[in-house]
Amino acid sequence: MDQLLQHLVNGLVLGGTYALLGIGLTLIFGLMNVVNFAHGEFYTLGAYATFAALTLADLNFFAALGLAIVCGLVVGAVTEFVLVRPLRRESIDTVMLVMIGVWIAMQNSELLVWGGVAKSIPHPFSTTPLTLGGVSLAPLRLFVLVAALGLIVGAHVLIHRTRLGRAMRATFQDADTAALMGVRIRRIYTATFAIGSGLAAAAGALLGPVFIAYPSMGDLASLKAFSVVILGGLGNIAGATVGGLVLGVAEELGAGYVSSGYRDAVGFVIIIAVLLLRPSGLFARAERVG
Amino acid sequence: MRRAAGILLALAALTLPLWIANAYFLHVVIMAGIFGVLASSLNLLLGYTGQLSLGHAAFFGIGAYASALLTLRWEWSFWLALPAAVLAAGIAGWAIGRLALKLRGAYFVLVTISFAGVIALISINWMDLTNGPLGLPGVPAPELGPWSLRTKSAYYYLVLAAVALAYEVCRRLVDSRIGRAFVALRENEALAESVGVDGTRYLVLAAVVSAGLAGLAGSLYAHYTRFVSPEVFLFTYTVTMVIMVVAGGKGTLAGPLVGAVLFTVLPEALRAATSWQWQMLAYGLILVVLVFFLPRGIVPTFFR
Amino acid sequence: MRKRWFLSILTVGVIAAFVGSVVIGLDVARAQAPVRIGVIEPLSGPVAASGNYIRMGAEIARDWLNAKGGVLGRKVELVIEDNKSDPKEAASAAEKLIVRDKVPAIMGAWGSSMTLAAMPKLEEYGVPMVVETSSAASITKRGNPWIFRISPPSEMEAVGLEPYVDKLAIKKADFLAVNTDWGRGSIQAFGDLLKKKGLPVGAAEFMEQSATDMNAQITKIKTTGGDTLFLTTAVEQITLVLKQAQEQRLSRKIVTTGGSSSPTQLIKQAGAAAEGTYHIVFFMPWFPESMPDGKLATAFVDEWAKRGNPFEGLTEGFRGHDGIVTIAEAVKVAGKDDPKAVRDALWRVNLTGVNGPIHFEKDGPAGKESGQSKPSIFIVQIRDGKVALPEFARK
Repeated sequence: MDQLLQHLVNGLVLGGTYALLGIGLTLIFGLMNVVNFAHGEFYTLGAYATFAALTLADLNFFAALGLAIVCGLVVGAVTEFVLVRPLRRESIDTVMLVMIGVWIAMQNSELLVWGGVAKSIPHPFSTTPLTLGGVSLAPLRLFVLVAALGLIVGAHVLIHRTRLGRAMRATFQDADTAALMGVRIRRIYTATFAIGSGLAAAAGALLGPVFIAYPSMGDLASLKAFSVVILGGLGNIAGATVGGLVLGVAEELGAGYVSSGYRDAVGFVIIIAVLLLRPSGLFARAERVG
Repeated sequence: MRRAAGILLALAALTLPLWIANAYFLHVVIMAGIFGVLASSLNLLLGYTGQLSLGHAAFFGIGAYASALLTLRWEWSFWLALPAAVLAAGIAGWAIGRLALKLRGAYFVLVTISFAGVIALISINWMDLTNGPLGLPGVPAPELGPWSLRTKSAYYYLVLAAVALAYEVCRRLVDSRIGRAFVALRENEALAESVGVDGTRYLVLAAVVSAGLAGLAGSLYAHYTRFVSPEVFLFTYTVTMVIMVVAGGKGTLAGPLVGAVLFTVLPEALRAATSWQWQMLAYGLILVVLVFFLPRGIVPTFFR
Repeated sequence: MRKRWFLSILTVGVIAAFVGSVVIGLDVARAQAPVRIGVIEPLSGPVAASGNYIRMGAEIARDWLNAKGGVLGRKVELVIEDNKSDPKEAASAAEKLIVRDKVPAIMGAWGSSMTLAAMPKLEEYGVPMVVETSSAASITKRGNPWIFRISPPSEMEAVGLEPYVDKLAIKKADFLAVNTDWGRGSIQAFGDLLKKKGLPVGAAEFMEQSATDMNAQITKIKTTGGDTLFLTTAVEQITLVLKQAQEQRLSRKIVTTGGSSSPTQLIKQAGAAAEGTYHIVFFMPWFPESMPDGKLATAFVDEWAKRGNPFEGLTEGFRGHDGIVTIAEAVKVAGKDDPKAVRDALWRVNLTGVNGPIHFEKDGPAGKESGQSKPSIFIVQIRDGKVALPEFARK
């Protein structure tokens, strides 16, 4: 029985970060219709930025995390401004292709700069796990869970309680009308892309110390992010949150009780099942699909 | 003018092994041909019906594994295994089509990705059938009577025939009523359905043909490299295909072929021209720049 | 208009690069042309670290050879290709090295799938390849007479461990391996070893090569009642498993196999979680003087450090060195850098690398044998944050 609890706890920690990735991508994919294959690269950027801040600049751990998020915001904004904005009028496939190019370029630059050897990211938490019942949890992971939840709440607040958030939601619903109402559409797009990338970087910065940092760490992250986005419904932040947690737990349970080899298959099968039964995602209101 | 160019191109293609003596170049050309078939197959879905399938590597891999297993384990002749592989991939395409084409857009994309992911994991884990990560080495080369098609020149002609076949199949489909239905569905599905075009039925048809062609490419690949392993399901193959179709020009018949040649030659040229550290970085940058300046793809920009 | 211009320039550029590379490739045959050795390794992707360590070792071998006058009076040159952990790339790289660079021999390709994919090219063109890392049994059993392996297949490793099984007091073992031919082969080989000794096997779990979360597998292993865990994967995943095992309070003996464990890196990255673990390695850079050729091993460790290469890479980097010196020796014995002559010479070489004596014996179906050397195998332990010989292995 406490195997089950252990699996659940593991799954929640992972799921929290999947949720961060998913929220970031649902903003970009849902609002801007950009198939952002480079999303995972911002995740990687977050991890390496944390590493650089800690080892090269000798910053405090929490400051390094903050810096990594800022890094994600800035690089995201620049990417949008330089590469996405000029291609606004082009088809979704063209933009997707550019993002693929960005993905390849970013990953290989990381390889060039940091080399192929994985980097271990130091952290100030003790390695003795906390135990509650039969469940063991490392203090670092607890911190990651709390931080991820905090950022998720922050994202919700941003979207639902601020002017920027209102402008973003308006643009999502109807860009033309929003423009007529005085919303600076182009700035909203840049902000959206930046925030989405910043959240991905946050996920990378948090998970980096838990695991390790290596140049191709973002590939799987991208895929999981897309799964979460579809599970939750395009553009649906609450949906992405729950979707991320569900995916994390499902993967853990699948790996634990079904087969560790087919671990990732669990996520895929869930996606397929959900899409066939509830095509607009678990949480979107019934709307015309597509 | 166009005719003359076309005839010249055909002549050049038919006599290629004579004037390209270097076996490495011939290797690159053969790979370009295989990817040309693959890109054309993806173009049917992406370019003509407008549905993006990011799981196309699954059909490629199914074709490769089917062909390899039939010739290795059950000692079928290549000439039987090839159509069997096409059929296997086509059936998979039909299954995915029936299941997934109730969805559109991003949702369809995700189901195709998930499908490919599941197939990839099966190929790694179902050791008894696929030999898992150890792969299937020693896939036999095709034989035509007493001659083995092991030599590059012979294989080149096989691939050339396949490319011609794929092109012709796509052309016939696209120029027919079915093709016009595809385009109608791509441009405005609701409108097309209102005049009686059954969206799902046509899209499933596109999926089946598309998957079958991908299976053809898979079989050719298996018998050329003579080693099949779960890496054929790697996402990079799908990404490469997408690059070839979109950069070459989706929705055109020649686009994917141009894209296939360019994006097979380019990495190899970069491999020869730069050291290994810069090869892929240069590739990524060139891709970004290319798409930036030619957003509609090469063929539409130059020939429309 | 701008677009057309741009594309024309781009097309011309690509064509120029291609043509240029052809021109560059046209080797002007001069007696002083260098002896080129092809190297195919995974220099990017999930195992980029390993591939790069091997490259570094190969470069040391090249420089030492050239400092002593090269081979046959000519300089040694390495032509290095990245197989990106993709068999298709490994095959293309082999083709390019053989046809364009005309190398008489290749070293590669790290992963067994990559090596297997390149093997048909070796037979097609008649060029030998020295296999420095791959462990799949099939590589030398397929009847490819152009393959010469200096790394041990999993069966040989298990045989190397046999004398220590009792001393390690194994009563029941579990396996956790990466889901590749290497991991599976390892489970097979060590499972057979245990069966031979009449010891039961608990769980056999797998992890994907790029997986970072093994908690589910560890949770399952916790329930088997075993006392030993055999772990086969690359050092990054070992780090993660050790950390997660510690978090879940998995208390048992851990033995890593395959030689890619880099214990020094484990100490650095896994810290206390690595304490007490055992590792099967093929090179002991912590006490190089106890290697079969102590002087060579010590010199290698010193040169590696001098170049600023990370110490933890030594447990793999030596393979690059040994592969290159084997090929160089074969060229010397053959008297020319012709592939077939080099292949024939490989059967006659008898040298000592960093790992120990290198000499090829026949392996595989009669008439088409591949060459397999018998490398030295060692076992070390991490104690008090340092690498040491286990109590029972001390002489």
